[in-house]
Amino acid sequence: MSYAYLFKYIIIGDTGVGKSCLLLQFTDKRFQPVHDLTIGVEFGARMITIDGRQIKLQIWDTAGQESFRSITRSYYRGAAGALLVYDITRRDTFNHLTTWLEDARQHSSSNMVIMLIGNKSDLEARREVKKEEGEAFAREHGLIFMETSAKTAANVEEAFINTAKEIYEKIQEGVFDINNEANGIKLGPQHSPASGGAGGNRPRQSSDGGGCC
Amino acid sequence: MLQRRGWLGGPKPPKNPHSLEHLKYLHHVLMKNQTVTESNKSLIVEALRSMAEILIWGDQNDSSVFEFYLEKNMFLFFLNILEQNSGNYVCVQLLQTLNILFENLQHETSLYYLLSNNHINEVICHKFDFSDEEVMAYYISFLKTLSLRLNQHTIHFFYNEHTDDFALYTEAIKFFNHPESMVRIAVRTLTLNVYNVNDRAMLRFIRDKTAAPYFSNLVWFIAEHVREVDNCVRNNANHQHRDRLRDLVAEHLDHLHYLNDIVTLENEMLNEVLIHHLLHRLFLPLYVRSLADGSPGDDNVYYHLILDILLKDYFSIFYNVLRYHLFLNNKCFLGQYQYIYTFIMFTMDTLLVISKDYEYSCRQVTIQCCNKTINSPHLPFLDTIYSALNCTGSDYSALFALCFLYAILHNKGLLCLTHLIENCSKIKYNHGIVTYRFVCILWCSVSTRILKKRTGNYQRKHGNLFHLTPKKCTLLNKANSAQNTLNKLILIHRDKHSFKEDIGKEEGSESYCHWLIERLLRIISKSVMSESKVRLATLRLTSILLKKVGVRDTDCVLLEEHLSSIEVNIFSILAEAMQNLQKYLKEEEMFLDIFEDEYRTLQPLNVEYLMMDSSLLLPPTVTPLTGIEFSKRLPCGQSEQARQLIGIFFTLRDLSLFLCKESETQLPLTREQDCIQTNDKLDLNNSDLIACTVSSKESKQRRFLVVELYQLILVEPDSKRLGWGVVKFAGFLQVLTRIDSRTLHVIIHKPSGLRRVPILAANFIFDDHIRCMAAKQRLTKGRMRARHLKTGRIAVLLGV
Repeated sequence: MSYAYLFKYIIIGDTGVGKSCLLLQFTDKRFQPVHDLTIGVEFGARMITIDGRQIKLQIWDTAGQESFRSITRSYYRGAAGALLVYDITRRDTFNHLTTWLEDARQHSSSNMVIMLIGNKSDLEARREVKKEEGEAFAREHGLIFMETSAKTAANVEEAFINTAKEIYEKIQEGVFDINNEANGIKLGPQHSPASGGAGGNRPRQSSDGGGCC
Repeated sequence: MLQRRGWLGGPKPPKNPHSLEHLKYLHHVLMKNQTVTESNKSLIVEALRSMAEILIWGDQNDSSVFEFYLEKNMFLFFLNILEQNSGNYVCVQLLQTLNILFENLQHETSLYYLLSNNHINEVICHKFDFSDEEVMAYYISFLKTLSLRLNQHTIHFFYNEHTDDFALYTEAIKFFNHPESMVRIAVRTLTLNVYNVNDRAMLRFIRDKTAAPYFSNLVWFIAEHVREVDNCVRNNANHQHRDRLRDLVAEHLDHLHYLNDIVTLENEMLNEVLIHHLLHRLFLPLYVRSLADGSPGDDNVYYHLILDILLKDYFSIFYNVLRYHLFLNNKCFLGQYQYIYTFIMFTMDTLLVISKDYEYSCRQVTIQCCNKTINSPHLPFLDTIYSALNCTGSDYSALFALCFLYAILHNKGLLCLTHLIENCSKIKYNHGIVTYRFVCILWCSVSTRILKKRTGNYQRKHGNLFHLTPKKCTLLNKANSAQNTLNKLILIHRDKHSFKEDIGKEEGSESYCHWLIERLLRIISKSVMSESKVRLATLRLTSILLKKVGVRDTDCVLLEEHLSSIEVNIFSILAEAMQNLQKYLKEEEMFLDIFEDEYRTLQPLNVEYLMMDSSLLLPPTVTPLTGIEFSKRLPCGQSEQARQLIGIFFTLRDLSLFLCKESETQLPLTREQDCIQTNDKLDLNNSDLIACTVSSKESKQRRFLVVELYQLILVEPDSKRLGWGVVKFAGFLQVLTRIDSRTLHVIIHKPSGLRRVPILAANFIFDDHIRCMAAKQRLTKGRMRARHLKTGRIAVLLGV
């Protein structure tokens, strides 16, 4: 299937914050976890539309590889976007954000778009981290922020798509060198030069559940 | 969706998708659609998806689901679909279903069900259409997911000892140099996960069948990559390809990290092979030799950096390399030791120069000998470092040399070296005569060096102890077995009495190397000269090294003359700074701001990050247009020169205080403890107070405005004590933004380096215009007074 751009994302954050569930929820919406069934996956791809153009997102979860330093640092470098996830019901996952961010900034290209995500927003009763705290952290570090729930799918689409929009805008502004694949951006097979500026059309969201194509 | 497709015949799908009935239904669907066609493609994909979900549900809730799956051998459907080459759309879903299953199954029994019958290996070996990047990505993720489930039990589903088959691994490493970076990373992850499983038979398989080609390819690619870095640097004098260089260096570091990750798994069987390749195809021919051949200004000077990087984090690799080489591999020839030997000698010498602690750990090893087989060691490496530190022309190679010294001082891998040397005594003849003799020589040379270093005077008195006497030569040559040699060496050593005691007495007379200190000081004095070519990073690293070398156990061990030399340098810097201060008198305001800002943003130099910075490989530049950080280039323009001077000033002041064991009392200009904090209670009798309403986005409050030394303060009356107030807000006096008849618009920022965050944005509404003007005047005057005070303190600091 042809696309204008391919963006590579990574998902980072402490274990158990729901990274792989977010990923599956976005790439394959059919897995709406009911009956306390939590399912996640480490890789997924999905096509979205921004500004009338087909954009493919490839999302790589880095879970389970933390013990190997070589692996984490390479992942950062190959990505155009990163979702930095914490769990709003676990304060410690929020406290570790600084370390994650430091790592990300150190190893990634300076243009990488980082979105901060407070996951499990459905568990309001067990909330330990206020939304304002997340917002403040994001503001202080220049990140985009959103609270999501992989369980109810709230904001999941938006999280991934807004990140893509940001990357797309950066491309339009000429900030990303799109010919350098090390930036985590790839030109589509039949790519024609960008037409017009950013903005305008809202992304069309695929209504058939997306899936893997 | 499935509901709608009930027309395909057979039973309707059950209402509850999470039930055994649902799996039975899926079984029915797949039975009916054994051949994949255009028309039933979507249906099959949908069934594969549902399958993942129902199986995970079954794993967590109902064991009968897996029993049914097993009874009907439903994995065969997967294989059947694969065999039909039914297109990438279906393949991708199939792989995704498997991914989900292997990622989410919690019960080991469920996992074993899935892995049984060798079906999984059939999927692994299937020839997918790898030209489709989507298929490739899902396939490699599938392999990686499987590798994350490897352990001593599951390994047998993948590695078949009888057929000597390990498809998961052998198929994966075919992609180790895939153009797509994420695929390469996945392969590396998989290999590490595999090496981490402690199964001897499997590891033996890897060593015997795959290690040689895989590791040699890997090392070959890394070496190629190093050459590419070299090329890039040479053709890049004008900084045009900085991004490419940055990527190349980062990629190279990735490689080194990967090697380090493998080596630190301490898998001796594999390390032996890996290290052999590393040593002979990378370390010796490229890194080490470049140091030997390269004097500053030479073409291959860039290797310094590579070596620095290597040394900082990877000394351990290198010494592991040597260790394995010496202790496990006895097939070496003496010629191959030449470089190893020289390199160890080099490290030793460097260490002796910069660190006394190291000598202690080597003390036990002392035994003297001569070095007959290998000619008296010429030390090209150390010479290179020496001349680099001279810092003639630019500080390009000096910075590398400093990094290098820093790396050696901080490297944990050095323990390996000590270990190595200590282990030499355990080497037995059966390790091979060549190895054995090498070890003897190595050991002896090391000891000799330590002795030479420690007993400069002693050596003069007993010179011949360290030289080859005919008697010793004869003994050495006559030794039939190496064990004998060793014994005889020890005998010689004993003959010459216990010189260890003598060494003890000499201790303390000279605890650091004049040579090195002098060179470091020279860099410092160069940095303060006008038109200096010393970058701030170089100076700061010099200071770090000086602290490290000059101080042990919190005592300053520098000689009086050196200490005073540092002081002199600081004085000359002060003079330089004063002159500049005068230059900047007209723009005094800016000078104060720069001064305070520089101090705030001053952070400990992260040498590790510094070493990884590819821009250091390029000739030092002046222009900020390159995007290179200020501390890693030379100042451009007057304002930056002021910044540079301030930076030098801070560095040297810090160094001087450190060496004198004094603590900083003058900086920052406004200290936290001198400032008024929120909730402090103030005695405001006799203070000037102006009442106002503070109106911000959030609230409207009645407050009293007070101007203190450096601060704007808002208080509310203390309910307990008359005339006292409780501080509700305190911020530094700043330029006022706007004034309307009786309203002041105030925005107070937190003074922070990078991002200015407003801590208060509000309108102060006064009772009338006069009070508003009075408040304005008080704030403005207060600010001027505060600035004046601070400038005065700078002047004191600079000795004006």
